[in-house]
Amino acid sequence: MAMEKIGEGAEATIYSLDAFGKGMVVKTRNPKGYRIADLDSRIRRQRTKKEAKLIKRAMDCGINVPRLIAVGQNSIVMERIDGQLLKDIDITAEMASSSGMLLAKLHNAGITHGDFTPANLMISGKKLYLIDLGLSDTVSSSEEKALDVLLMKRQLGKNLYKVFVESYSGLAKSADDVLARLSEIEARGRYQSRALG
Amino acid sequence: MLTLGIESSAHTLGVGIVDDGKVLANIKAMYKIGTKGMIPRQVAEHHVQNVHRVISQAFEAAQVKPSELEGIGYTKGPGIGSCLQVGQVAAKTIAQRLGLPIAPVNHGIGHIEIARVNAGMSNPLVLYVSGGNSQILKLTDDPHPHYKVMGETFDIGIGNMLDTFARGAGLDPAWGSTVEKTATGGRYIDMPYTVKGMDFSFTGILTHALKASKSTGLQDVCFSLQETAFSMLCEATERALLLSNSDELCICGGVAQNSRLKQMLEAIASEHGAKMGFTENQYNADNGAMIAFVAERSLKAGAASPLEKCNIEQRYRLDSARVY
Repeated sequence: MAMEKIGEGAEATIYSLDAFGKGMVVKTRNPKGYRIADLDSRIRRQRTKKEAKLIKRAMDCGINVPRLIAVGQNSIVMERIDGQLLKDIDITAEMASSSGMLLAKLHNAGITHGDFTPANLMISGKKLYLIDLGLSDTVSSSEEKALDVLLMKRQLGKNLYKVFVESYSGLAKSADDVLARLSEIEARGRYQSRALG
Repeated sequence: MLTLGIESSAHTLGVGIVDDGKVLANIKAMYKIGTKGMIPRQVAEHHVQNVHRVISQAFEAAQVKPSELEGIGYTKGPGIGSCLQVGQVAAKTIAQRLGLPIAPVNHGIGHIEIARVNAGMSNPLVLYVSGGNSQILKLTDDPHPHYKVMGETFDIGIGNMLDTFARGAGLDPAWGSTVEKTATGGRYIDMPYTVKGMDFSFTGILTHALKASKSTGLQDVCFSLQETAFSMLCEATERALLLSNSDELCICGGVAQNSRLKQMLEAIASEHGAKMGFTENQYNADNGAMIAFVAERSLKAGAASPLEKCNIEQRYRLDSARVY
């Protein structure tokens, strides 16, 4: 039952684990030495709890996310999806369309992702999964939703984005508001020269 | 190239003289902020009253004569319009009288560039924290050299937040640095924590802290306010550091004088094997030397501005200013 480190971000470390005949992923939020212990443990605990809650909610709404296996104070154990990240492959029109539907379902469930990019979408067989809800939130405002769409617009080429946004609009309940807000955001000065990842 | 710079964007009227990047004089007069904050008309009046005196003192300190000057610069913005105008008019008048090339300077670029060069860094990730600004930036050449904003405050600058709290809570003197002193030895109480990726917000925590100050000891509120707000800045900065693959981190602006914030950022830098850099406090506070410093470089690059184009811009975005 060896744990192998497979990723490290600013917030958490990801380990891969094989146990009980299943492939799992463990996401652990590490302590941050710069902030005081009280605040540090509060943030890690709250975010872990929230992420687990949102994964559960997404699952309940029929969205393809890794199945939740266990939740600890600062760690989440999830099913490991064996597939390829969209950022590592040539994205097809079908994948762009699935991404649009996935985001629409997520927004319809009242969840915004916060980092909806090809780095957080994984294709396994024919199924598309959303793999990281670490920055997700339960927000109903069109601003937050529009930012999710904007990130994909920045990442996909013009043609793929068109496919993506068409399938998003076909399914998302508040698509008109979201797309109107998107144009508004793009018109704001600060976003024109911003480094978005 | 002997260059004089005038800074007048907010409470400080500063005049600096530099020659080939070396600071020869850095003189200031500061408007005393009372319990009502900065009243634009009064601050501008203060600058008008002091501008000739501070300029004379700068020449004395640098031991140079006005006739030896080769260039001049002033703060174009961002800042309070009536205050910016004082520096603008003084600089234009001197430029015309002595026939000098003149360069309008972005205030934030002044802080960043003098800190970056003094810290001996080439292209660091920059955290610029002051009264009106809180931004995470990185220099880029596309399409021309400028600082690109990676993250910033959604609402007010952190210095403004700390100052507004200090005044509202009745701290005397009503100033952010008083919050730092009062915080020593405090205990932690919960405060709102708002970070979205590399952006952050300070109005929620300000409202909360002001309310808390009515029922909780000021020492604990100041301590918790600082710890929480600085942790927000640090989280966003750490994310930007990893994303931009930077091996240098430079901190500047008025709030960079806070030793607790510096300590926290040093912890992040050392964890990721990055070098941490900052400059002396006289350049983190508003000053004229940084304006002279940037103006000299712009003028050497041939970027002098015609007098009729020497305007001011209250909301002059840092990322729209070209860096020479």
